[in-house]
Amino acid sequence: MKTFKRSLRRTLAVLHARNLEYLRDRASFGWNLVFPILIVLALAVVFSGPPRALFTVTVVEGQAPDMLAFPGIEAVTASEDKALARLSRQQTDMVVSESGGTVFYWVNGNSPSGAILELILKYTESRPLERGQSDGEAIRYVDWVVPGILGMNMMYSALWGVGYVVVRYRQSGYLRRLKATPLSKFEFLSAQVLSRLMVTLTASALVFVGTHLFLDYKMVGSVALLGLIALLGGLSMITLGLAIACRTESKEFADGLLNAITFPMLLLSEVWFSLDASPEWVQAFAQLLPLTHVLEAARAVMLDNAGLGDIWLHLAVLIGVCVAGMAASVKLFRW
Amino acid sequence: MTEPVLSVRNIRKVYGDVVAVDGLDFDIQSGQCFGLLGPNGAGKTTTLALLEGMERPSTGSVLYRGGPLPKGYQERIGIQFQATALQDFLSPYDNLRLFSKFYDAPLPMAQLIEQFRLEEFLHRDTRRLSGGQRQRLLLALALVHDPEIVFLDEPTTGLDPRSRRDLWDVLQVLKDQGRTLILTTHYMEEAEILCDHLVILSHGKVLTEGTPATLIAQAQVPNLDALFLQLTGESLVASDEGAP
Repeated sequence: MKTFKRSLRRTLAVLHARNLEYLRDRASFGWNLVFPILIVLALAVVFSGPPRALFTVTVVEGQAPDMLAFPGIEAVTASEDKALARLSRQQTDMVVSESGGTVFYWVNGNSPSGAILELILKYTESRPLERGQSDGEAIRYVDWVVPGILGMNMMYSALWGVGYVVVRYRQSGYLRRLKATPLSKFEFLSAQVLSRLMVTLTASALVFVGTHLFLDYKMVGSVALLGLIALLGGLSMITLGLAIACRTESKEFADGLLNAITFPMLLLSEVWFSLDASPEWVQAFAQLLPLTHVLEAARAVMLDNAGLGDIWLHLAVLIGVCVAGMAASVKLFRW
Repeated sequence: MTEPVLSVRNIRKVYGDVVAVDGLDFDIQSGQCFGLLGPNGAGKTTTLALLEGMERPSTGSVLYRGGPLPKGYQERIGIQFQATALQDFLSPYDNLRLFSKFYDAPLPMAQLIEQFRLEEFLHRDTRRLSGGQRQRLLLALALVHDPEIVFLDEPTTGLDPRSRRDLWDVLQVLKDQGRTLILTTHYMEEAEILCDHLVILSHGKVLTEGTPATLIAQAQVPNLDALFLQLTGESLVASDEGAP
């Protein structure tokens, strides 16, 4: 008990010092809050007009209908589940699939574009048709992209806020000074994780609430569940940052490593755009990235009111990343 | 004679192809101010790191009161490194508070603030401290847990003459308190004033050791500068000003 109290005292002391350092660095603190708000604002302005006058048809499998050759109709491919989910959000206007000579098609009952496409299909298609429906309200781009921006901000804040800072401490000799005290590696690393987690969660919550005040984006799910996703997402990114920093001695090298991790996530974890139209191997690779799981879970909660049972697999992956990252960090860390 | 507080027995430290320390053997008595002298690259900082327990010798051993370095050794020693960065945006007060929390029975902060004259810059960002103020803070941090042994790696390098003399006064107080001081220095005057016992190193080996007076008398030279020149062929006086 005495050892635990002593360990807690040291951990809290380092946590307090790190928080002071962060809060007094006003430029960095302000930027972490202002940057994502500016992005959301810019996107809201850019995408505030009416949706583009272009029909999108998602093809699931089989021979596509002739009408897809018409100008103004864009065709993309996706699995049936993903295609129907997109249709219910009006991110696509029609879903088609051909099997045994019959063309199955689905439209969203709330979408005028879908009704027009249905008429065109009926007049142009000679094969037998079978109709399905997947209703739902339209999702604006802003609704879709807000979780992406929150996740991206969390990723940068966590990875750089821990990875880069620890390497800076090492390069300046500060870690060597701490090594000469009774502070253990675990106490030091725990304090770094907790401090950055507090910063990341507070910043995400402020941006979430702040942007909601003037954007009114869609949030139909459980706030508590979204908080759990943010907690596990933040922790997984922070432990990744620690694993990168555990032995690296050069800030430049750390910078390169952090970029090598964040850049694929920025491109492939669906921060800005959907990967539905991407090759399957790209989509499979994206599943290896923790940010993909953060964003898929967050969008499921925010846009589709998903519950714990719907997103447990994403949460399990994030817990796995946290455990592996922290274990590697403690094992490999050098002062 | 009392049992030495620290002893090194035939220690050697090798980094790849480089032999930094090569078969050192000496004792450090309790309450002594022990000086390690030598030109750049002589192995002073490595020897200090081995005595501090920050590095392990490749062969040989470092003994504390005749036995291996005990668990909790770090609680008994205080270290002032040659170059120590502190966290950005923290004041001397924040740093004292942080380091005090690492130990079970730290000295009262007020005592440290008074002893090292930190009051005038107690709440200033540590990045804005002068060289002398910074060294006084680092020394206070090394003393926060009232250690019996204090290691000082070139504590006055880079300081102006007045700040250097100020720090000598502080170190003299620590000596008077009965602490064991182990320091490396480039300044022969500093060694002569502060140290009770000197070990002069070159290329990782001991060239000679003894009290400053004995060494000067044996070599029949006027001072430590001349002794150093005689032993190593190098003068530390010229390199003092260029030291970082």
